[in-house]
Amino acid sequence: MDAKDGASDLTSSTKKKSRRPKYSQFTQQELPACKPILTPAWVILIFVAIGIVFLPIGFASLFASEHVVEIVNHYDRDCVPPNYVDNKLAYIQSSKTNKTCIRRVTIPKQMKSPVYIYYQLDHFYQNHRRYVKSRSDGQLRSKSNEKKTDTCAPERYTANGAIVPCGLVAWSLFNDTYKFSVNNKQLGVSKKDITWKSDPKKKFGSDVYPKNFQSGGLIGGAKLNSSIPLSEQEDLMVWMRTSTLPTFRKLYGKIEADLEADDIVTVTIENNYNTYIFGGNKKLVLSTASWIGGKNCLLGIAYLTVGGLCLFLAISFLLLYLFKPRPLGDTSYLSWNRSAPGGHIY
Amino acid sequence: MSGWNRSSRGARLGGGRNSSLPPGRTSTVRLGRVQPQAPGHRTIFCNDREANIPVRFPGNSISTTKYNFFTFLPKGLFEQFRRVANLYFLTISILSTTPISPVHPVTNVVPLSLVLFVSLVKEAFEDWKRFQNDMTINNASVDVLQDQKWESIPWKKLQVGDIVRIKQNGYFPADLLFLAGTNPDGVCYIETANLDGETNLKIRKALEKTWDYSTPEKASEFKGEVQCEQPNNSLYTYTGNLIIDKQTLPLSPNQILLRGCSLRNTEYIFATVIFTGHETKVMMNAMNVPSKRSTLERKLDKLILALFAFLFTLCLIGAIGSGVFINHKYYYLGLWGKKSGDSAMAYSSFDPNNRFLMIKFIQSTQYINNDLRMYHFESNTPALARTSNLNEELGQVEYIFSDKTGTLTRNLMEFFKCSIGGEVYGTGITEIERGIAERNGIKLVEGYNSGNAAHEKGFNFDDPKLMRGGWRNEPNPDLCKEFFRCLAICHTVLPEGEESPEKITYQAASPDESALVIAAKNFGFFFHRRTPTMIYVRESHTEKIGTVQGVSYEILNVLEFNSTRKRQSVVCRYTDGRLVLYCKGADNVIYERLADGQDDLKKVSREHLELFGSAGLRTLCLAYRDLSPDTYESWNEKFIQAKSSLRDREKKLDEVAEIIEKDLILIGCTAIEDKLQEGVPNCIETLSRAGIKIWVLTGDKMETAINIAYACNLINNEMKQFIISSETDVIREVEDRGDQVEIARVIKEQVKKDLKRCLEEAQNYLHSVSAPKLALVIDGKCLMYALDPSLRVTLLNLSLNCNSVVCCRVSPLQKAQVTSMVKKGAKKITLSIGDGANDVSMIQAAHVGVGISGQEGMQAVMASDFAIAQFRFLTDLLLVHGRWSYIRLCKVVTYFFYKNLTFTLTQFWFTFQTGFSGQRFYDDWFQSLYNVIFTALPVIIVGLFDKDVSAALSKKYPELYREGIRNAFFKWRVVAVWAFFSVYQSLIFYYFVTSSSDRGQNSSGKMFGLWDVSTMAFTCVVVTVNFRLLMMCNSITRWHYISVGGSLAAWFIFIFIYCIIDQKRNLYYVIYVLMSTFYFYLTLLLVPVFALFGDFVYQGIQRWFFPFDYQIIQEIHRHEPEGRSRDDLLEIGNQLTPAEARSFAVAQLPREVSKHTGFAFDSPGYESFFASQLGVHAPQKAWDVARRASMKRTAKKK
Repeated sequence: MDAKDGASDLTSSTKKKSRRPKYSQFTQQELPACKPILTPAWVILIFVAIGIVFLPIGFASLFASEHVVEIVNHYDRDCVPPNYVDNKLAYIQSSKTNKTCIRRVTIPKQMKSPVYIYYQLDHFYQNHRRYVKSRSDGQLRSKSNEKKTDTCAPERYTANGAIVPCGLVAWSLFNDTYKFSVNNKQLGVSKKDITWKSDPKKKFGSDVYPKNFQSGGLIGGAKLNSSIPLSEQEDLMVWMRTSTLPTFRKLYGKIEADLEADDIVTVTIENNYNTYIFGGNKKLVLSTASWIGGKNCLLGIAYLTVGGLCLFLAISFLLLYLFKPRPLGDTSYLSWNRSAPGGHIY
Repeated sequence: MSGWNRSSRGARLGGGRNSSLPPGRTSTVRLGRVQPQAPGHRTIFCNDREANIPVRFPGNSISTTKYNFFTFLPKGLFEQFRRVANLYFLTISILSTTPISPVHPVTNVVPLSLVLFVSLVKEAFEDWKRFQNDMTINNASVDVLQDQKWESIPWKKLQVGDIVRIKQNGYFPADLLFLAGTNPDGVCYIETANLDGETNLKIRKALEKTWDYSTPEKASEFKGEVQCEQPNNSLYTYTGNLIIDKQTLPLSPNQILLRGCSLRNTEYIFATVIFTGHETKVMMNAMNVPSKRSTLERKLDKLILALFAFLFTLCLIGAIGSGVFINHKYYYLGLWGKKSGDSAMAYSSFDPNNRFLMIKFIQSTQYINNDLRMYHFESNTPALARTSNLNEELGQVEYIFSDKTGTLTRNLMEFFKCSIGGEVYGTGITEIERGIAERNGIKLVEGYNSGNAAHEKGFNFDDPKLMRGGWRNEPNPDLCKEFFRCLAICHTVLPEGEESPEKITYQAASPDESALVIAAKNFGFFFHRRTPTMIYVRESHTEKIGTVQGVSYEILNVLEFNSTRKRQSVVCRYTDGRLVLYCKGADNVIYERLADGQDDLKKVSREHLELFGSAGLRTLCLAYRDLSPDTYESWNEKFIQAKSSLRDREKKLDEVAEIIEKDLILIGCTAIEDKLQEGVPNCIETLSRAGIKIWVLTGDKMETAINIAYACNLINNEMKQFIISSETDVIREVEDRGDQVEIARVIKEQVKKDLKRCLEEAQNYLHSVSAPKLALVIDGKCLMYALDPSLRVTLLNLSLNCNSVVCCRVSPLQKAQVTSMVKKGAKKITLSIGDGANDVSMIQAAHVGVGISGQEGMQAVMASDFAIAQFRFLTDLLLVHGRWSYIRLCKVVTYFFYKNLTFTLTQFWFTFQTGFSGQRFYDDWFQSLYNVIFTALPVIIVGLFDKDVSAALSKKYPELYREGIRNAFFKWRVVAVWAFFSVYQSLIFYYFVTSSSDRGQNSSGKMFGLWDVSTMAFTCVVVTVNFRLLMMCNSITRWHYISVGGSLAAWFIFIFIYCIIDQKRNLYYVIYVLMSTFYFYLTLLLVPVFALFGDFVYQGIQRWFFPFDYQIIQEIHRHEPEGRSRDDLLEIGNQLTPAEARSFAVAQLPREVSKHTGFAFDSPGYESFFASQLGVHAPQKAWDVARRASMKRTAKKK
């Protein structure tokens, strides 16, 4: 509190001036404003508008999604030889067992080129905190950052120096391989352009070559060709764009040929990757793509649901409006009038 | 030890004095609590610095700062961390620096530091201002006597014992002992406005012995020794002795000039310094206003704690889940050589991010201070919000405790009626009488009204029987003469200005006193000059009609008014030697002291007193006594003795006065009207419609209080009144016997019985169908017992059932007790309003204290949270500002809650699918900027601008206020609804976005990663949350659009830039990837609509079937143009300067039309054009023409 003392008041008391506040729209809180009132008419109108916009979008995206042909083949269980069924771990961890597995897939509808090949893993927590942070983006980008491996624990370096690319993400690179043939004719699998463009351009350096990779005590997954720079290792780039959910698909490659209906595609799988230890699944997915991407009914259904619900509500509100109208500004609804005769009590 | 005893008695006396303080007299009121006095006394050697050195008196420099250079940081930080929110963030920030935290500590530390920094800078700035203020004061210069010369030194160098010279209008630099002045008789006049706000001048009189030291040469010879009490904070007491030439002279407050006062009407004075710096009485009185926090804020703390608990539960779930999940089988997590379960603490970094910085910002806006509706033109006083963090409390007030005088009434006293020798004079009819008559259906005819009725400020009386010498023909002309002389002589009024009846002004301690002197003047007894020993009166018509003669009366003794005595006497000697004691005082006090044998007169006068009282008038009895010289002389000796005693002087003086104030002869009584403040009855009616209960707590008599209550519409005859009074026969009988213990017992029994009976009755009424409204009237003495813990509950129950309560004859302490009884006992929001020092305790006790400013008495304002000039401004303060503040704050707080919960929950859902690892869904920067940038501004705009109905409608439908009392907008149920929709929305954000994005995303079949999806989700959250804000606005100004648009733009700009520069992290190019897919746009359209769908349906149904009152009011007035009503315009328009009037008038134009006025600005009379469209005739205004002229000039220049 200020001292109730004289000297400070010397000036103010000698010259008296009006202390009237200045008028302004701001200080008097009278700024022009629009005052929307959510009247039933507006509610109905908004519902109808949403319905009208959403239903076509919903139909369009559902239509697009329906045109996508998608084949899912769950192979990890069936690719275990019968004598190892009770001991899958021994099968997958042994280097002596034959990992090759042949699967046959029937094409239900014509699949136009390009046909995308995905692998899908379940129960693989690529989004686990320990996993996500175990990488060094700096090291991936440029050779000069080779030693920056402090975020990569526990896959940082070997006796020969820093691991490039370091970290658990790269270390656990998916290493199943697929080969396709139709009618004994080999289908080429293109591995080009399976990542978002920014990855090879900016994130993975063209002067960074794999080093000491998978040479530690434990081998996690695929090995990398140390003569190819990271910017061309598209499998790694795909893998390193860690997934959101523990169930995820990643683009493996594409088949640049049309597959006709009832074609039987023979897939030769090298079943190397260990998902058995944590009870995960491996699936092979063949899919075409439309303008909204892969088979994605959810978006279309959601649009249709919201749009339909809006129309339904619009009609319900309209009926309510007709059968139980409340005149706008009916004073008998005011709380202090409610107890009075004629007031509405609810 | 004796010193302590004395001080405790002093405290009790002080309380007692306060208890029956007459309105307008603040002379014995203390500011703070009475501090225990240090024992013993101090000795000061005047004009002798060396002699004073050993005692080490403090210097005269003062410091009112809160901090100094070293204490600033620790103390300031301590203050900040007393807030739950800040403490919470501190905990989080500390946790985030540990290695187990999933986020970078910067993201938590930066916002916290920002909040702390801003708060500290604000504190530092305010303290710096205080410091500068102190410096100005400390460096003001004062003349000090050094070596027979006057030296100008700064105030801070002043020392105890120095002799100083103060010039006219100068301020006293310390507490001074007045030695001599230029006025001949050792008198000076001071203004104490800085101390108590009273603008009337007070007389101070030096001791005769020191009068001569009026030149520097003489003064330098002055060697005295002052023995006085230790420094204390009682402004109106002082005991000490001046020892000069081995003579001991008693000192009284009359010789003391307190720091902060200023010298008036005196060329200069000499004085010696007795207390310096922080030992001065004014500084000892400086107290800190207790810092109040609003109930909403406290509830907010609870909400934060609840959130904290909730988050802790989440963390616990996370930690347990993590422990269960972590397993070596997930070989890709690289757990070799590690124990599992290392991320138990990771979840602690979910935080609700309630940055209350914004709320603080909103609260400190100054709408109240700038409201023209609350500006009082006559006193040039705008409203003042002294504590801005209580604004929302104003929207929830349920009980108002009001002082009467100066608050409900004007404290403008007008002499209205009188009774002399058993005859009533005065023909006026009071408002109250008129009101009562109207209620009873009687029409009062205005009494005789002579053409030249005298009416000036303080005198509203007309009766030809007394005026212009008419009294000579009355039955008791002699008594009339005594009546007038008593009015003209027995007072402490100071005349000022020219000595003519028209021009003179009177300076009086209370308006009653000056009203009486003015009355005497109008009756022809013109008091025009006062010297310390003489009073000069020009008496007309005494010899015969028309004669005027100057008479002087020698004033021998003044027995001053105090509230224990309730009377004032003057002993004077006529020029012919007649010795008379004139006495005026409260009826019961005077009646006790009347001589025997005036029973008829006493009876008639008593009837008249009751008559006046019931008309709402304030009465005083006048009496006189002729003294024989012998009686006087023997008494005077005792008086002088008492006057010079050092100990208990006041008490001794009272005892001496008692000896002579007896055997009085009754003259008659006066009746003074206490005018109601403007608009009070209307205001009270409006407030009671708003569901606010108004209690009047007054020191006045029961009859007066009830009358004022009637006049204010607080009580009417339809109401059932419960009166609990100590003025019953039973109690009186016991009191006459005088046994204190017995009295207490009987009264307590009686009060208990009364309370029980009334409560039963009240409850019966409540259960009956057509219950009348109830009113309770209780007096201070009964209240004392009723506030006893055993009866308090009964009293509370009874009073809460009553619509209005009047407590009369209550002390300031009781006012505070009643207030805190309701505040603590009933847990209702209370507001106290008062103007005087006796209301300070009540103002501080209530949730919200309101002081009436612009009148005398600053103490109430100093203690208050809000200051307004007029009682009627309460409607604006509560119904408009309070309501808006409350609604806005509720919106802001619930919205904060909602947006943070939504955000945090999306994060939480994610952790379920990451093996409870505590992986962030969003980038760290998204998280920290979410509250600071992307969603910050719009909510501030809502806090600033949102209003449901206009100010005029708020006042037209005061019932709207009840929503605040019921706390309709911040109940747990409201919070629960928000929480429900938060959960709903977060589920949509998380599950929809994640599960719809797990397929190939464009025609090249590429897949999204975690950061693509989280950026998508975050975009949806930001968009939704911002649009949700627009959905809850009642009025949308362009600032709303700008802020919402700005926030969204800020997000996109941020992400565009961030995605390019962030090469080290995962967000590189993410947004560009996203935007290259159709998926992005489809989701961005769908998710916000989907998320807001629930809220929209809820709002639609709520509005349609369960409308809030304000929503119906909005509907009723939906077609009315925005802005003020026309009446309001006129009301405000009168006070505008032309420039403002112009902007105002432009603002009044209908919006659609004003868009097209580009051309019309140059066409004459555009305003009348629009006005005529609206059907209003608007005359051309001077400024309009002038403005058009100026427009043309500028146009030509181009």
